[in-house]
Amino acid sequence: MEWTAVTVTTSSEAVEAVSYILTNEGAQGVQIDDAADFAQLKPGRYGKNGEIVDLTTIPHRTSGAAVTGYFQANTFVPELLPTIRQRVAKLRDYGLNSGDNEVTSAVVDNQQWATVWQKYYHPLRVTNELTIVPQWEDYQPEQDQEKLLVLDPGMAFGTGTHPTTKLMLMALENVIRGGESLIDVGTGSGVLSIAAKQLGAGDVQAYDIDEVAVRSARKNLDLNPVAADVKLGVNSLLDGIHTQVDVVVANILAEIIVPLIPQAFANLKPGGHFLVSGIIDDKAAMVRQKMVDQGFVIDSETKMGDWHGIIAHKPTEDED
Amino acid sequence: MGFTKEFNARTADQKGMLIPVVITVYEDRSFDFITKTPPAAVLLKKAAGVEHGSGEPNTNKVASVTKDQVKQIAETKMQDLNAADVEAAMRMIEGTARSMGFTVED
Repeated sequence: MEWTAVTVTTSSEAVEAVSYILTNEGAQGVQIDDAADFAQLKPGRYGKNGEIVDLTTIPHRTSGAAVTGYFQANTFVPELLPTIRQRVAKLRDYGLNSGDNEVTSAVVDNQQWATVWQKYYHPLRVTNELTIVPQWEDYQPEQDQEKLLVLDPGMAFGTGTHPTTKLMLMALENVIRGGESLIDVGTGSGVLSIAAKQLGAGDVQAYDIDEVAVRSARKNLDLNPVAADVKLGVNSLLDGIHTQVDVVVANILAEIIVPLIPQAFANLKPGGHFLVSGIIDDKAAMVRQKMVDQGFVIDSETKMGDWHGIIAHKPTEDED
Repeated sequence: MGFTKEFNARTADQKGMLIPVVITVYEDRSFDFITKTPPAAVLLKKAAGVEHGSGEPNTNKVASVTKDQVKQIAETKMQDLNAADVEAAMRMIEGTARSMGFTVED
């Protein structure tokens, strides 16, 4: 998708007002570059671990401020520019020193953003057995037990580099022994279904509420012959799915996992496993409690950064 | 997409609010981000109880806020504004309010 960026050079004092003008004229989002933000930074103070030590290596403004508004391609920006100029110039009347008020526009190609990161995405050994390989890389396994997940992540979630995906891949490696039936809820890029098949799972169903994700998953399943028989579709959580399976996996968000808990319980065979991830620190206790209240037995919980992954199972009759 | 997921998780309690963010992307595609206070215009609209500001602030006044409300917003946003003191922050908020077609009352 193409966007038009309209940039207004202004002063720190007027960034909020200029942001309002741009959004009021239809910008979908604004970006603020303020020299004063950088002036406050000192070497080693930025980032969680003070990673950035040399501020001169980061492109930034050294004086004044600029606000950039992003307009969708269907907006006829040349028509808007005079209005924006006029409204920005008027800010002085409202007591704001708005700097030099230069208004410029440029077309931004979204495709570039979608591909520029590819050069940093390389084969990655995520777990003991699983290595994620970008589609554009030619990679051969280095060890016998190493299994490849070939991915073109595109716009869907699940490049395998995010902690929540790693937690789920490790959980799958723990739970899959061979032949299990599995449902992947919120499949995204399809990475978990492909991993399950590589680890030996039997029938796999993968669903996502987002059509873009389903298209992306289709592409990725096709890149991995082992996953050719995965049943894929658009579906909201487990609504209308009545089969009982051995494993349900969901790497979503705590808020979405909560309504999924009773559904997963119903869709699991006794002894079946429920693997969830996407749970941020302060929601972990709540999700765990809801799972226990539902009747699940928690087998393990793993933390990576701020994220939690939980492995639970539905008790068998003997356990009750 | 990693960012979207993390942002949604961290801001789930502020659903419906527009939340600015400062994101640092590293060369290996990992990232950190910090969330900021909502834009002044969003807080002003909330304080005035209106959904939209004016497109012609000179001629079309759509709402009013009190000085106290301006001060409250200035204090909320102080941490994110490049303002020397609360008075300077208030001037920024007040100017933003007027540019939205709000009147500011004592």
